[in-house]
Amino acid sequence: MKIVVTVKLVPDPNAVRRIDPGTKRLVRAGIETALNPFDEYAIEAALQLKEQIGAPSTGSGQATTVTIFTMAPESMKESLRKALAMGADDAVMLSDPALEGSDVSVTSYAMAQALKKTGFDVILSGALSDDGNTGGVPGALAEYLGVPGLTNVRKIEEIGNGRIKAQRETDSGYQVVSGPLPALVTVTMAVGEPRYASLKGIMGAKKKTISTLSAADCGIDRPVGSDGAKMEVVAIAAPKAREKAKVVEAADGASGAQAILDFLRERKLV
Amino acid sequence: MRDVIIFVEHNGGQTRKVTFELAAEARRLADALGGKAHALVAGVGSAALARQLQNHPLDKIFHTDDADVDKFLLDPVVDYLEAVAKVTGPAAILVPNTMLGRDVAGRIVARLDAGLASDVTELRVENGRVHCIAPKLQGSTITTCAFKGGDYGVITVRPNAFAAQLQATGAELVPLEKPAGKTYGMVVESDVEEATGEIGLEEAAVVVSGGRGLGGPEPFETLLKPLAEALGGAVGASRAAADAGWVPYSLQIGQTGKIVSPQLYIAVGISGAIQHKVGMQTAGTIVAINRDGTVPIGETADLLVVGDLFQIIPALTTLVQEAKAAHT
Ligand SMILES: Cc1cc2nc3c(=O)[nH]c(=O)nc-3n(C[C@H](O)[C@H](O)[C@H](O)COP(=O)(O)OP(=O)(O)OC[C@H]3O[C@@H](n4cnc5c(N)ncnc54)[C@H](O)[C@@H]3O)c2cc1C
Ligand SMILES: Nc1ncnc2c1ncn2[C@@H]1O[C@H](COP(=O)(O)O)[C@@H](O)[C@H]1O
Repeated sequence: MKIVVTVKLVPDPNAVRRIDPGTKRLVRAGIETALNPFDEYAIEAALQLKEQIGAPSTGSGQATTVTIFTMAPESMKESLRKALAMGADDAVMLSDPALEGSDVSVTSYAMAQALKKTGFDVILSGALSDDGNTGGVPGALAEYLGVPGLTNVRKIEEIGNGRIKAQRETDSGYQVVSGPLPALVTVTMAVGEPRYASLKGIMGAKKKTISTLSAADCGIDRPVGSDGAKMEVVAIAAPKAREKAKVVEAADGASGAQAILDFLRERKLV
Repeated sequence: MRDVIIFVEHNGGQTRKVTFELAAEARRLADALGGKAHALVAGVGSAALARQLQNHPLDKIFHTDDADVDKFLLDPVVDYLEAVAKVTGPAAILVPNTMLGRDVAGRIVARLDAGLASDVTELRVENGRVHCIAPKLQGSTITTCAFKGGDYGVITVRPNAFAAQLQATGAELVPLEKPAGKTYGMVVESDVEEATGEIGLEEAAVVVSGGRGLGGPEPFETLLKPLAEALGGAVGASRAAADAGWVPYSLQIGQTGKIVSPQLYIAVGISGAIQHKVGMQTAGTIVAINRDGTVPIGETADLLVVGDLFQIIPALTTLVQEAKAAHT
């Protein structure tokens, strides 16, 4: 089984990030590139699947592999080593200057073209990206690929023989869904904490292949990047500053409660 | 882009407040664009809900009771939305920013090669273009995005961001035909409700949220629920509380949970990690109760009461109940 994990390379979520008022793009200078934290859960889920499905002898005779896929500038290549150190087998990048400035629809279209080329039985994605935060890519990607998209999966119950059965989180609980492969799955944090790379993993990762595809390699034949994007940022602003909190030290429950009630009354909330 | 279509999320014909907020906002946008405001309601119970929606300022309400919408994952409903979009022509499609809404949005973006604006809290029309205003980068930046070209645009809208409006404008009911030649593969085998709240978290006017400080599942039932009930609100939680198994994940507020914008948010025993704040910082008034006066929630709150939640909450519940009894 061929498992592909889509990961986005994002500016370090712990760094202070801002948007350049001129270009209206995220400033990347001086900020380390990291794996989108939600995608580490997708990698974890992929590695768990590989362990579960196990050696080729138990399956169809075909080995199970985990390939990391990203669409990002080639200069970010080394940021993929962490994913390889966690245990993925290899990585593929879609890198092309023409793709710069792509929005959700263009990104998904371009990724779909590349993934058709690499092939897959199941694609695992994060539920959202820490920087873009739209969560729109996986659904659009599934659509461009013409495969079912199982979002917010907390547990893959069964996978193999061309089928998948999984539990999806919903707004009020969860659902069990099942259907044919290939499919795209986004995972929630409930799949389990991403594993740390072992020393052996880190050493091994240096020797793993990261190959690169260009837009032309994938038959991308329509406007991409900012030319193809359907959205543009026209303005950015700072949020309205909140006034500093009133702080009340409550000597006991009664005085704390009274302070809250008075405050709520003042604001006509009770 | 002149018309506006709203996607109506519902469960067997029961919808949520956000639907009515979208209807009112769709009307306002359509008027500004010189177009019409329509709705799509699909799945079991839609015909009845469509009639209910006639009390809202819409032009056409497209509906179908097709059971496949409930039986198969996502594809049927996206097919219907696409069909409506093709009938109306270039349009802005408003979808609630909920788990289902986000899924529908991602898929329809690809079907229509449309732009996507997510988690929008304000909409404006300037020179005939729709401007979408949304907090980004964990609330640190407010961006205004606009669609390029005159085609389709998909907008996920934060619940509680717009006011609903009861106004019957004689909306026409339009039954939809089943699309021909479609087969669906991904079957919904079962649907389990875990959250038991009467009011949906996203639309509650008051949210009382508990974190690791509650120490276990019981205080959610014995302390937070009565307070939430007294205030007419719903109970939420931090990720730490959900991870500990004290409450289902469907109560979680934050970056990886629900984004809420109530009039009043009470954070009880929650430190206020950035991932939590992202989900609640646009609340009207924020009250935090924490025994530590230096917690980050203090930077976001309007009132921080430093003290023991186990003493304060029961006392507060009694005070609120008394205040309400005196009022009625
Ligand atoms: C990728 C990622 C995504 C995440 N997404 C989310 C998300 O969506 N939502 C979310 O909430 N978190 C999320 N988190 C986790 C987040 O970083 C915090 O770990 C979490 O919010 C902490 O929960 P808490 O405030 O309940 O717990 P803590 O940080 O442990 O805070 C508990 C608080 O309770 C107080 N307290 C204890 N006892 C009492 C008492 N008797 N009386 C009064 N106060 C008391 C303590 O002083 C403390 O401030 C995410 C993390 C990551 C890495
Ligand atoms: N440029 C990209 N390269 C690879 N995967 C991506 C990219 N952008 C988004 N994704 C995937 O889509 C998920 C959701 O991202 P987003 O829709 O941008 O919030 C991420 O967690 C990734 O798995």
